Amino acid sequence: MGGYLLRRLYHSFIVILGITLIIFIITHMIGDPVVLLLSPEATQADRDELQRQLGLDRSLPLQYIVFIKDAVRGDFGVSFRHQRPALELVLQHLPATLELTLAAMVLSVLISLPLGILASMKPGSLLDRTGMTFALFGQSAPVFWIGIMFILLFGVKLRWFPISGRGGIENLVMPAMTLALFSTAAQTRLTRSSMLDVLDKDFIRTARSKGLHEFKVILKHAFKNALIPIITIVALQFGMMLSGAVITETIFAWPGVGRLAVNAIYNRDYPVIQAAVFVTSLFFIFINLLVDLIYTKIDPRITYR
Amino acid sequence: MKRFFMVFFILCFLIPSVSLGAPKGKLIIAQAVDLTSLDPARHHTQGEFNYDNAVFDRLYLFDVQGNSVPRLAVSHRIVNDTTWEFKLRKGVKFHNGDPFTAADVKFTIERILDPKTKAPFAANFRHIKEVNIIDDYTLQMVTEKPDPILIKRFAAGATTSILPSKYIKEKGEDPFLRHPIGTGPFQFVEWVRNDRLVLEAYEGYWAGSPLVKTVVIRPIPEDATRIAELQTGGVDIAVNIPPFLVNQVKAMPGVEVQSVPSGRVIFLYLNTLAPGPLQDKRVRQALNYAVDKKSIIEKILMGSGFQMAINLTPYHFGYDPSLQPYPYDPEKAKKLLAEAGHRDLKLVFNTPSGRYIMDKQVSEAIAGMFEKVGVKIDFKVREWGDYTKDLVTKKLVDIGFIGWGNVNYDADGTFFVYFIKDAAFSYYEDPEMKSWIIEARHALDEKKRKDLYTKISKKVFEEAPLVFLYQQQDHWGVSKKVKNFQARGDENFYLYRVGVEK
Repeated sequence: MGGYLLRRLYHSFIVILGITLIIFIITHMIGDPVVLLLSPEATQADRDELQRQLGLDRSLPLQYIVFIKDAVRGDFGVSFRHQRPALELVLQHLPATLELTLAAMVLSVLISLPLGILASMKPGSLLDRTGMTFALFGQSAPVFWIGIMFILLFGVKLRWFPISGRGGIENLVMPAMTLALFSTAAQTRLTRSSMLDVLDKDFIRTARSKGLHEFKVILKHAFKNALIPIITIVALQFGMMLSGAVITETIFAWPGVGRLAVNAIYNRDYPVIQAAVFVTSLFFIFINLLVDLIYTKIDPRITYR
Repeated sequence: MKRFFMVFFILCFLIPSVSLGAPKGKLIIAQAVDLTSLDPARHHTQGEFNYDNAVFDRLYLFDVQGNSVPRLAVSHRIVNDTTWEFKLRKGVKFHNGDPFTAADVKFTIERILDPKTKAPFAANFRHIKEVNIIDDYTLQMVTEKPDPILIKRFAAGATTSILPSKYIKEKGEDPFLRHPIGTGPFQFVEWVRNDRLVLEAYEGYWAGSPLVKTVVIRPIPEDATRIAELQTGGVDIAVNIPPFLVNQVKAMPGVEVQSVPSGRVIFLYLNTLAPGPLQDKRVRQALNYAVDKKSIIEKILMGSGFQMAINLTPYHFGYDPSLQPYPYDPEKAKKLLAEAGHRDLKLVFNTPSGRYIMDKQVSEAIAGMFEKVGVKIDFKVREWGDYTKDLVTKKLVDIGFIGWGNVNYDADGTFFVYFIKDAAFSYYEDPEMKSWIIEARHALDEKKRKDLYTKISKKVFEEAPLVFLYQQQDHWGVSKKVKNFQARGDENFYLYRVGVEK
């Protein structure tokens, strides 16, 4: 187990290195932060001077090496725009994003698992068909449109919730619902099909013929065996929500990492882009590792060496 | 005229005394973008300048028509061609009680010019060679060459907001940037990045206490969200209402729309530096005749625009009202193209998307109009950062959609930037025109400058180095609870005289 963890850690390191390299190349190939930063009256000499100050006059490979050397010490450099350390900016915005993502995740699990299970119990029933229609809608409606519709309905028409900004729990409701919709739909469908798979198996028939209460059959025997793919998709969706919160954050003026990162990309603020990508990747990798460990708890047949 | 000014001044003193009483109420403003820092010298975008306008003051400001009005300066005298003397306002105090003196002005300007500051607009002030303190309230500035628009540069430059030299020298830059103080009508309270900026009335403001107690400026990037907040009273003022939503906002009870011609003009670049058909004046004129500006403004911009003869607005010093826009005349365009001998003309058309109001849609329409007169178009939608890099490095191919907000309110800020090859955004140069532009740039005689700009304007129109399109119209959504708010063409807002009813 210890050896396995070490290997995973090593793999994670390679992955992060790869991600930073790709981001580095893409962002440096297109556009120029200095051009976006200076007044139109600036001359070539002004641009050269700023380039030198920001260290952008060095060759690309050298810039990357310097970046990695500093990054290892947790120093991602100072934001070109904000004049603050990039990592500090990302960490400042992180709580808002985590709050939103966790809320959306809890919401989607609380809705999708019961809905999926209920749908699987009576395939073809009204409940099943309603659930699946909802899932289809949730997966195909654009987040952007959903967000605006929520604002118009719950914010403007009914005035139940504040429209934008971060604050109390009431501010969280609409952004969390918007962000949760897609994953709720995906998880509902997967829970249903995964349950249907298991419910066909022999051991379920055995359990039923033993005279077990249907409730117990479903939750204890069927659900537990259907859980592995469900956990996988929940974790994947969590990662996607973490990085996909950009649109939701923009619609609801939510002060999260997504908005910071997107503006950084527009402005070619390299240190902030790198720091944001690094932190998000760390979460992704950590979640994946966590899921792999959870597998062993659920299914004793799975072990890592 | 003199009497008018007397009355005006008396009125100015009367107004504050009428509305005497402690500032009260809370004003919430939604703008599209957030600040990046609290340091005026490093500011770059309008969202940041609005904070500068509230917390700080500068030597001069523009009024709504574009005339410079003394603020922390009270008068100026031109000592010789390159030396200006400014008398400064007495009795002005920073938020911590320190008096404002000439030392603060010197400090502010020298800080902008210090390369370590990395001030984006340093280039606009680099020609100020010396700032000399004569006494606490008298200051001289020496410029490299005569600069007739020096005062306009201060009026336009929120980045020249005067900083407290004593405070910064004693406490250091970092503490100042965490809790900035200025001489402006509002004091800094709190800033949560990408969420809110909170300011509070400074009752000791030199021109009298502001009317509103608390100001909150919120960045809300999405137009629909900003408007929904305005509708439900979550915000009192919303900037940048897009033209296609204006009618919806007008229909809301308790909200009015203030529409104002913008200082921003929209046009197409033509790369006349690279060899090719665009170096032929007839081709450039043909492209100008080929564009139906009227229907673009009516159908795509829902009426929010004004046709332009060249790329200067009536706000700008040097504007020539006698010039009329190129009429829509596709037949003439075809004829000019035939004369020029370009039968199978094929040009690349670059456009940003989402940077200016309806930019991509307008570009698509124009590309269609060009095709109609027989010019084949290779249409390219460009990411902004990628596009501007091409522009500045002179790599633009053929045609490009762009907007230009010349906030100096002077023709220099447009002609110098667009019609002199060495400037960042220029794709055109003509030796004679260049000599006029340089001459006007350094002539202190207003009459002479005006005549030069009239000459230049006529030549710009005739030479058609750009495809001239329109001047934008800006729309602001303002709650009826807000009093005395006036939308401006330069997108600034000044909240000192603004009140709010609850």
